[in-house]
Amino acid sequence: MSPWSRLRIEPRDRALPPLFSLGLGVGLALLLGAAIFAGLGVNPLSAYAAMAAGAFGSGHALSEILVKATPLLLTGLAVALAARMLLWNVGCEGQLVMGGVFAAGCALFLLPPGAPPLPAASAALLCGALGGAAWALVPALLRAWGQVSEILTTLLLNYVAVILVEHLYYGPWRDPAGFGFPGTAELPAAAHLARLWPEALGRVHAGLPLALLLAPLLAFLLARTRWGFSVRVIGLSPGAARYARLNVPARTLAVLCCSGALAGLAGAGEVLGIHHRLQEGLAVGLGYDGIIVAWLARGNPLAAPLTALALGALFVGADQLQTNLGLPASIGQTLEAALLLGYLAGEFLARHRVAFGRAHVG
Amino acid sequence: MAANTNTIARGEPLLSCRGVCKRFGAVAANRDVDLDVWPGRVHALLGENGAGKSTLMSILAGRYRPDGGVIRVRGAPVAFASPAQARTAGIGMVHQRFMLIESMSVAENVRLAAPGARDADIAALGERYGLSVDPARLVADLSMGERQRVEIVKLLMRGADILIFDEPTSILAPAEVEALFSVLRRLKAEGRAIVLITHKLDEVLALADDISILRRGRVVAGCLTLDQAPGRRELARLMVGREVLLSVEKPPRDCGAEDETVLAAQGLSGLDASGRPAFADVDLAVRRGEIVAVIGVAGNGQDALARCLAGLGGGTAGSVAFAGHEGGRAMPAARWRGARGLSYVPEDRHGAGSVAAMSLAENALLTGQADERGGPLLDLARGAAIVERAVRDYRLKAESPQAPAGSLSGGNLQKLILARELAAEPALLLAEQPTQGLDLAAAEDVWQALLDLRSRAAVLLFTGDLKEALSLADRLAVIFRGRILDVIAADDPTAIERVGLLMAGVAAPATADGGRNGTGACA
Ligand SMILES: Nc1ncnc2c1ncn2[C@@H]1O[C@H](COP(=O)(O)OP(=O)(O)OP(=O)(O)O)[C@@H](O)[C@H]1O
Ligand SMILES: [Mg+2]
Repeated sequence: MSPWSRLRIEPRDRALPPLFSLGLGVGLALLLGAAIFAGLGVNPLSAYAAMAAGAFGSGHALSEILVKATPLLLTGLAVALAARMLLWNVGCEGQLVMGGVFAAGCALFLLPPGAPPLPAASAALLCGALGGAAWALVPALLRAWGQVSEILTTLLLNYVAVILVEHLYYGPWRDPAGFGFPGTAELPAAAHLARLWPEALGRVHAGLPLALLLAPLLAFLLARTRWGFSVRVIGLSPGAARYARLNVPARTLAVLCCSGALAGLAGAGEVLGIHHRLQEGLAVGLGYDGIIVAWLARGNPLAAPLTALALGALFVGADQLQTNLGLPASIGQTLEAALLLGYLAGEFLARHRVAFGRAHVG
Repeated sequence: MAANTNTIARGEPLLSCRGVCKRFGAVAANRDVDLDVWPGRVHALLGENGAGKSTLMSILAGRYRPDGGVIRVRGAPVAFASPAQARTAGIGMVHQRFMLIESMSVAENVRLAAPGARDADIAALGERYGLSVDPARLVADLSMGERQRVEIVKLLMRGADILIFDEPTSILAPAEVEALFSVLRRLKAEGRAIVLITHKLDEVLALADDISILRRGRVVAGCLTLDQAPGRRELARLMVGREVLLSVEKPPRDCGAEDETVLAAQGLSGLDASGRPAFADVDLAVRRGEIVAVIGVAGNGQDALARCLAGLGGGTAGSVAFAGHEGGRAMPAARWRGARGLSYVPEDRHGAGSVAAMSLAENALLTGQADERGGPLLDLARGAAIVERAVRDYRLKAESPQAPAGSLSGGNLQKLILARELAAEPALLLAEQPTQGLDLAAAEDVWQALLDLRSRAAVLLFTGDLKEALSLADRLAVIFRGRILDVIAADDPTAIERVGLLMAGVAAPATADGGRNGTGACA
């Protein structure tokens, strides 16, 4: 008899603590990653060493982790918020792009020349949030009053957003003085998000403290306000929500639009803080990565900063693999997938036990 | 010892436990439990709310693993890792909370448990045992009693010979209880072993061959035979650990509050949750200072009527007026969405009345959120205070207000929901089966609380328990096939008989003071 025929998978009475499943997940992800490296003909140990050196080896690298973590945290919060109501906002990518479009549009066409920096940047950020919310509005309305799946609508709108932004910077918004390069003119300096400490923190901008502030704010909103309570009730028990006469359509609309606004902020931050113009390189998957940030954080806004940092570090380290070891550029995404798979396996093992042989009285 | 003589007289038990223990964190749900179940006998398992009955049965059914102890089936030790293994060993359980998939048909649900069962087999088996349910119907459309029949059919389809019933009668109307009992007697006569959990002494005395009583996880009386069993009062005392009266004193109505109608429905018609006509032309008024009971055999439209009156929709014609809402003016049924001052205790305490994953304090705040008043913050201190009051006033057993509602036993969850709705100080309490699943002492506490509330407010009680209705209500409205056949004063000496007949759809001649306008006696 093969040992597999005696394999038993049984649910545990009580799940193991979250830290355990996280550790297990990371461990499994490392193993999976090692297998991928080996498959690519690279020694896993030297690959991990190169990643660690790339991510943590220099002040510049560390600051780049923070730069990457900023939009990741915002899109992670966006996904986590919607998920609390069992809504799956997979449209953060499009909302992020539209956040960038609205922020850039505001900076280029709405701000009066000579506007002081703080109000100018704030107005542009706000427009970015509005852009994200606006992009989530139609899926929200369709979901709230038409029972149309938000998964489909938000996802499809991502493609529309990407086409729209390309049209803008290849077409009407292209910088006439840009030697034909696709992209808008540089945004007025007043609308740029301040770099926090350029000498030590490089490109880290004011979007980071904003995102770090929003995480506990969101946690508080969900845990301690009546609004957040109703959102959680709707997510956990539709029957109880009906019984408590909660206004489900109104909450659906609000939650999806807030989620879109968070993703829009992420895009606005990228445009106003990093690119300083609308150009190629905005739709690079940060919206989809938010799903992973939110999952790894188990939907908890307070844990999202940590998972956003972890994912940021992974991306910065993976860049190193590409330059130093000549691995394909997609290695970052591949490792990200390994991390998610490892996490899901860890979650499963926290809820189930795997044993060989006959059951015995415990 | 009694157990020894029993063993000799009846041979080997089909199922036996020795020293079974189970903890949930700090709570010892079962401690050193011994239990024997014989073929062809009904073993009644009694005990107060939270005593550990459901936990013990869930262990036997393979849902939980014991922390210690030995379980033998047909003499051989077993350790179930899953419900599937327990099923293979011939053990089947009808849980307190049904385990059916609502969006599937009856036959599909049965096939999940017994693959390959054909519709014809299911119908034939149902016919044979008096458990007929149309295999093609959707479970979502079934009444609680019909769902229970599906659960039993699932067990029988698999040929289970150790059958566990966790409070099967708490959701049934009297006539349905009788029907269930004849099913149980039949199963017993076939030589199957049956474990029956109930809080109702009459049922124990009517059906049980052996009796075990749990308290705080321990067996306080093991395997008594019916003739060894102490009297009702003593049995009740053993069950809950204190003296219970087994009845309540209903003070006469205070007629000062007369005519202050709190809720009035006129010509009300409406649909059930799946959109079928459920009740029609209902005229019903509840005044402050009285308890009105709507009574009927389950499935006669009372669920839909309760939902509609509570403002959860379903009304199609007629009007509802509620004192203190829009000046007490009657509003079209379709627009009635409830109001401040109306509290509702729903029958479905798991799916509607509570959120398992949330804390007790949060659950205590579940209703009243739609209300626009109150600040933006969640008043968790108020929630915790409601929980603590329930612990004090209704002996709610809970680790702390922060414990999840999902960790409460069925009866304790019911106590929490009642405490929440009473804490709102409603002008009208609409309570559906408020004592369902409560032990005798807790039921007595709730009856008392309803009678206390009656002095300040109006109570509309939906119950299938005729005794409860007669001992609490001032007037009884009998519902049959969606219509209120008559409203009878509870102090009418012929009330019992007439209500009984009306529930079966037989119109009885009205007495002089009774009839639709019966008011109940005043002080
Ligand atoms: N999953 C769980 N997690 C934590 N505690 C639990 C869990 N299930 C049961 N308990 C606790 O174990 C004790 C026994 O619960 P159990 O459901 O067995 O009671 P019961 O005798 O069936 O009560 P009732 O008559 O109210 O249904 C209770 O104190 C309950 O709070
Ligand atoms: Mg129970």
